[in-house]
Amino acid sequence: MSEKPIEGEKRVFMTGNEVVAWAALAAEADIMYGYPITPQNEVMHYWTRLAPKYGRSFLQTEDEISAGFTTCGGVLSGKRAFTATAGPGNILMQESMTMAEMMRIPTVLVVQQRGGPSTATVIYSQQEVTMTCFGGNGEGLRIVYSTCSHQELYDYTIKAFNVAWKYRFPVFVLGDGYQAKMRESLKMYDPATKGIKMVETQPSLGLAGVPGVDREPSHLRNTYNTEEELCEVVTNLVEEYNKVVPEVVEYETFETEDAEIVLLGHGIVTRAAQAAVKTLREQGIKVGHFRPITIHPFAADELRAICKQAKKLIVIESAQGQFERIVKEAIYGESVPMESYFKPGQGITGEEIVEYVKKGL
Amino acid sequence: MAVVPNMPKSWRVETKPHKFCPGCGHGLVLKALGEAIDELEIQERVVFGCDIGCSLLSWDFFNCDSVQTHHGRTTPVVTGVKRARPDRICIAYMGDGGGYAIGAQHLVNSAARNERITAILVNNCNYGMTGGQMAPTTLPGMKTQTSPYGRDTETMGYPTQGPEMVAAIAREGAYVARGTVANVRRLKRYIKSALQNQIDGKGFSFVEALSGCPTNWSTNAQKTWEFIEKEMPQYFKVGEIKTPGKKEE
Amino acid sequence: MYLLHNGHTPVTLIDLDLVEPFYTLRPIKVQLEAEGLEVIAWETADTLGLGEAGNILKPDMRWALKKEGSIIFDVGYGIDGAKKTRLLEGAEELKIYVVVNIARPMTGDVMRIVEYVQSLGRVDGLINNSHLGDDTDLEIIEEGVEVVTEAAKKLGLPVIWTAVEEKFAEQIGDYDKKGNPVFFLKRRMQHTFW
Repeated sequence: MSEKPIEGEKRVFMTGNEVVAWAALAAEADIMYGYPITPQNEVMHYWTRLAPKYGRSFLQTEDEISAGFTTCGGVLSGKRAFTATAGPGNILMQESMTMAEMMRIPTVLVVQQRGGPSTATVIYSQQEVTMTCFGGNGEGLRIVYSTCSHQELYDYTIKAFNVAWKYRFPVFVLGDGYQAKMRESLKMYDPATKGIKMVETQPSLGLAGVPGVDREPSHLRNTYNTEEELCEVVTNLVEEYNKVVPEVVEYETFETEDAEIVLLGHGIVTRAAQAAVKTLREQGIKVGHFRPITIHPFAADELRAICKQAKKLIVIESAQGQFERIVKEAIYGESVPMESYFKPGQGITGEEIVEYVKKGL
Repeated sequence: MAVVPNMPKSWRVETKPHKFCPGCGHGLVLKALGEAIDELEIQERVVFGCDIGCSLLSWDFFNCDSVQTHHGRTTPVVTGVKRARPDRICIAYMGDGGGYAIGAQHLVNSAARNERITAILVNNCNYGMTGGQMAPTTLPGMKTQTSPYGRDTETMGYPTQGPEMVAAIAREGAYVARGTVANVRRLKRYIKSALQNQIDGKGFSFVEALSGCPTNWSTNAQKTWEFIEKEMPQYFKVGEIKTPGKKEE
Repeated sequence: MYLLHNGHTPVTLIDLDLVEPFYTLRPIKVQLEAEGLEVIAWETADTLGLGEAGNILKPDMRWALKKEGSIIFDVGYGIDGAKKTRLLEGAEELKIYVVVNIARPMTGDVMRIVEYVQSLGRVDGLINNSHLGDDTDLEIIEEGVEVVTEAAKKLGLPVIWTAVEEKFAEQIGDYDKKGNPVFFLKRRMQHTFW
């Protein structure tokens, strides 16, 4: 069967993990490497059922270390390869993702956050922010999209492949157990019908021609001998990353123009924050909401502008300040007071945000 | 008349002389591999992955596409390449630490899945690059930096029987052998059979090569060879352990 | 509830909860029991410490078919739900109806429904439950009626019901456009997420 997995546009209703599998198919992903961990499993369940129908492949590896490194191997071969994981699996993936950062391997990794630390819950959290943005022995040279809905899971999984292959940094789609398991409606589409062209892939290994005769061999180095050399390599990497930042950074604001209180939240928490803004505005309270879509890199300048006029920021997250650390770094030096509403590993509703805001008035 | 060293065609002349220590066995293993690649005429198709440890020095050794990975992770990287590009001949090159300790799960599971790759593992009874620590293959009583009084088998066990372990888990179609740098012709034959097995798409192929590490063993040429030829074979039996189509002994 | 109010008592609802166990009856078990249903499902407190291992068959479930009255099994939404009935004693006597939502791409068109249903083994009928959750509208319901009826015809199976939310009662009526009986639903599952 060689027809497109999705023709035109289609309204659908399904779980987020299923969305990821369809999005990867629509994005012309060639191969998934994966290892079971809840709440990510159904990405594999659907991929393994659908992939053969469209000539795509799958490998179940022995662990997430292997899933990450086989993904690197697939990408180095010039294929759109991806993997998905959560929690302790995300820890194991960090090793390979540092290799992807260092060697500019455009991997795509979908993370469905679960509770931590350790085994904890398989349900939900926003506790994999620090790890997903800055994991590994490196400088966090990666792009992390924090999605809030099934539509975004679809849109940004497709985008992740294009951003990865265009800029050659590893790209992460940071979802969570709620997004993974909830059923919700969305519009799936063939990227071409939206004018989205999939960025062409390039092999780094296994090129055509006899090496040393027709062409130079592709020798991919990953070890460096001197401090000076490494410093230069990393500085160059950082410079290239910084050049990419303005092109990829994304955020959304909700009624921040005249807001005195600004709620900061990312991922699925933005839904509660948006609901709270609506309720509070109806009650005449000047509340706004800022939501990074790329949680890393972060839209620091845009948030700074908001800080100048706001009287208070409230950072809301299902973690103990992992997002807040990113915010603090981004707006270092601003004088606006900051409060926090943390519920590590637990969902947050619009009602409780409303209550919290009103208590502080 | 200038002496032209006898180098395999697939070797990259620009990166020679190589950077392994004098007397190191890696050069011999890579020579056997280079000749096998030449004779099978697969240079154009080879993707070569090397581990971290002394094996990393082979990264620019051949006129073949190659990649340095992480310690123990060459098997999955090469597996990933092979799954994405089944037309390539994929070689994972590693040491005993990379294959039998930190990357053991990858080696064993690749064998169990009968991945169509060729793993070549150089066994020199210690971790060379990091300064001579005890390895899974360190011989009983052998002194290393982390077994200064000798490997105590009571607390540290016996040397890992790598090819035997792989052969036990690998499926029909797999090729498993142990060669030695003390017999390069035979080693080359094993490596060639391993690569041929991959070319034929029969299954996983694995060759361990017994090798010397004079730098960390602190041995001269004579003692190094004595160790390789007399001590190591007491624990590591040279020969083909699993060959497709052949009944196991 | 329909069975309960029409004298098919006692009514036992069994949540196998083995497949993608995220929408489970667990959270509304107490409420349903208060309304007169017997519910066999794990309670969260019973599974303390299981965490990841939510995938466990409760012994009561295996023998549930030996009970009196009406018995409803929820085998689950996932890909493999239908296979799980093999775990039950006396499952041969069950009527097996497949609930189809055309908004799920795996059952998104006639061909895919036919393929999917044929992969399940014995099936006695289809239930059309095409919807988009909160975003359900008349368009998706009616498209579902067309597609599922067509698929049922190809499969040689009856459409047992078209199931729609109560709020569409006036627009749809007691029979859908293809003449299938309509069954009106009260949504409870919004409260069942974890």
